[in-house]
Amino acid sequence: MSEHDSIAEMLALAAAGGLDAAGQRRVDEHARECPACRRELEIWSVYSLGLGRLPQPAVPAQLAERTRARVWQERAAVADRRWNELMLAALAMFAWTVGLTFWFLMRVLTGGALMVMGANLVRLGTWSAISTILVWLTAAVAAMALGRRRREFRRLS
Amino acid sequence: MILAAAMNPEALSGVEDAIARLRKGDPDALTAMIARYQHRLYRYLLRLVRQPATAEDLFQQTWLRVMERIGRYDARRDFEAWLFAVAHNLAIDFWRGKRGESLDADEDSGPPARDRLTAGDPDALEQLLDFERGAILAACMHELPAIHREVLTLRFEEDMKLEEIAEVAGIPLSTVKSRLRRALEGLRAVMAARFPGGRDA
Repeated sequence: MSEHDSIAEMLALAAAGGLDAAGQRRVDEHARECPACRRELEIWSVYSLGLGRLPQPAVPAQLAERTRARVWQERAAVADRRWNELMLAALAMFAWTVGLTFWFLMRVLTGGALMVMGANLVRLGTWSAISTILVWLTAAVAAMALGRRRREFRRLS
Repeated sequence: MILAAAMNPEALSGVEDAIARLRKGDPDALTAMIARYQHRLYRYLLRLVRQPATAEDLFQQTWLRVMERIGRYDARRDFEAWLFAVAHNLAIDFWRGKRGESLDADEDSGPPARDRLTAGDPDALEQLLDFERGAILAACMHELPAIHREVLTLRFEEDMKLEEIAEVAGIPLSTVKSRLRRALEGLRAVMAARFPGGRDA
């Protein structure tokens, strides 16, 4: 590839200010001697100039206000979700703590045996099974209540 | 004017201050930052996706993402490049869900647009220098692939350096250079196709 061809490849970038100092100097020196490249460089410069002066689109009315409102709405929703998750975790912990405390108290009070329909309710396995069922039932009811509240909130907002 | 504002040390410290307040979730800081960047960010997104409704949605999503990630923003990085990179990534996600056009598609392959121009082709732009040049250029730019529209708007409207464009688009500097050249050649080819009767260059 001749120097002329090589420079011709660089003209668009030169006009766009996309060459390093050495490349720009090479283009400028060649363009001084070569009318065709000088002409091309001028044309690319016109494009570059025009691209910097394109008609500016109007920003939609109240875009900033709508954006701010959406950001805070989403942040509130995230905070709400986190709060619900935290509350569910706290409720589960509380339920387990109450369950274990009662298990311990019942063992102390009944001397380790509370027979109902042939099953010892204060045995750790039986007590855990019953507690788990109760906790899950409570959690399901709480989740349904929260879901209903959220649907209601969405309907109103 | 924008560049002058960006170079102004007071304006820069204002941005730093707003970023620090944004990290703490200050609503006034968000208001200030949106107001500061709304024209540029919206223009960039509109040039990219061409539909005002989509550009507005992406604009809002950009600020949502900024608020999510501002805690992880490295203050040593240029905030503007980071902000535009967030918008760029959201535009990519938008196109992934659509057919027909892609921002990350390899449209740099194939013969350069300059080869599609006949040697000594009349250059339509010159003929139109005094006649709605900007509007015509914008309309022609509209026909270019998204990656080319993006590099043109970042270079000429946002006045970004090529290194900054590379950071925004997440591509190497050499790709930015070739993309910019092809975008300009593509624009010139569109102009020549639209206005074939222009004066000989």
